Amino acid sequence: MKCDQVKEHIADYLAGSLSRAEGEELDAHLAGCASCQQETAALTETWEMLGLLEQENPSAQMRPRFYEALEAYRQGAAAGTPAPARRGWFQWGWQGWAWSAALLAAGLLAGLFVGERQSSQRDMARLQDEVRHMRELVTLSLLEQQSASERLRGVDYAYHVDQSDTQVLAALLHAVNHDPSVNVRLAAVDALRKFAANPSVAGTMGSSLEKQDSPMVQLALIDFIVDTQDKSAAASLSALEHSPAANKNVKEKAVWGLSQLE
Amino acid sequence: MPETRADNVLMQKVRDGDVAKMAVLFERHHHALFRYFLRLTGHREFSEDLVQDVYLRMLKYRHTYRGGSPFTSWMYQVARNAHMDGVAKRKGETPLFEEGIQEPASADPDPAEILRRRQDVGLVRRALAALPVEKREVLVLSRFQNLKYEQIADILGCDAGTVKARVYRAIKALSQIFYEMAGEKAS
Repeated sequence: MKCDQVKEHIADYLAGSLSRAEGEELDAHLAGCASCQQETAALTETWEMLGLLEQENPSAQMRPRFYEALEAYRQGAAAGTPAPARRGWFQWGWQGWAWSAALLAAGLLAGLFVGERQSSQRDMARLQDEVRHMRELVTLSLLEQQSASERLRGVDYAYHVDQSDTQVLAALLHAVNHDPSVNVRLAAVDALRKFAANPSVAGTMGSSLEKQDSPMVQLALIDFIVDTQDKSAAASLSALEHSPAANKNVKEKAVWGLSQLE
Repeated sequence: MPETRADNVLMQKVRDGDVAKMAVLFERHHHALFRYFLRLTGHREFSEDLVQDVYLRMLKYRHTYRGGSPFTSWMYQVARNAHMDGVAKRKGETPLFEEGIQEPASADPDPAEILRRRQDVGLVRRALAALPVEKREVLVLSRFQNLKYEQIADILGCDAGTVKARVYRAIKALSQIFYEMAGEKAS
């Protein structure tokens, strides 16, 4: 390798994408060339210094702004009109109908103060319905993703959906029973606690328990069953207690769970 | 399904009218886009505006997305255009890189070490800001955005060899600026 060729390989060297053979050639050249060695060291140091910059995050307003705009676009598209033009994009405020229920509630209160109670209530009901719809779509889409971290985010979104959304509940139950990631299954069990009284969820944890092979998820499900006093799961707890394959701690927890249901 | 392919499929659905799927692409990429703009401009609020602009443009021009082509490359192409247009619109306003960026959090209990780190971070920011935008851009794409040189080539509309040559020139220029600034600091 010559000095000019070193320059051609610096980018790959810095990114760690040199092939083994190229790396060996480069090392051999650097060992005998003080100039290239000095330059490579300086550039590597600069490259590494860039790593000092923090991974900064956008403000909390970013998300509601986006969802407001997306909803406006959706409405515009549905009405057969072009993308929203009521306000310039850069001047777009995040007040109005926004992502969070808290903002919606605040808007409703503001509406009450200006004496437009009935129209505000109608608007708020419509906006709440639209926000709910968006949350459900995002939850369901995220729960379908390949990446476990995306599915975890989907479970997180599920905390914001309406009690009555059977599609989301079915997706969460499916995650508890079939998701390959233990973390996602655990998160889904926690998320379902909010919906414990829902007919789609009540009485299903026993059969979920029978599908689990992870002791952590089994323990979480037993807690769920005891907390909701789901007596229909007693047979599943008993089966777990007597299963030769079950973890010792899980068996003990199953015995405890049975005693709590009596 | 690999995530990149999943992105492509989602964008195809958006293109074909299921615009709600853009929410998933937002959740996946808006942090990366924000950091891309923040490192290019050094301005938080402007960077957030640009992220919003990118998503609006992707919705508006969704019909131009070609099925099967990498979504990430297309998104960064849109982002580059949004950046250029946004900077042109800002002429006469507060210069970029002048607003403060959050100080890095440090778990180090030694105040001297915290101070030294702050100085280093400040130095890196100033050096990056002093770099011409085209050099800064190729460094940001290659160093921070987790993109391969082939992907960057796709975004910039050149070949991977050209990208590597640009990265070399950019990091060399940054190194010179950095050491000049460090020298000033020491003297």
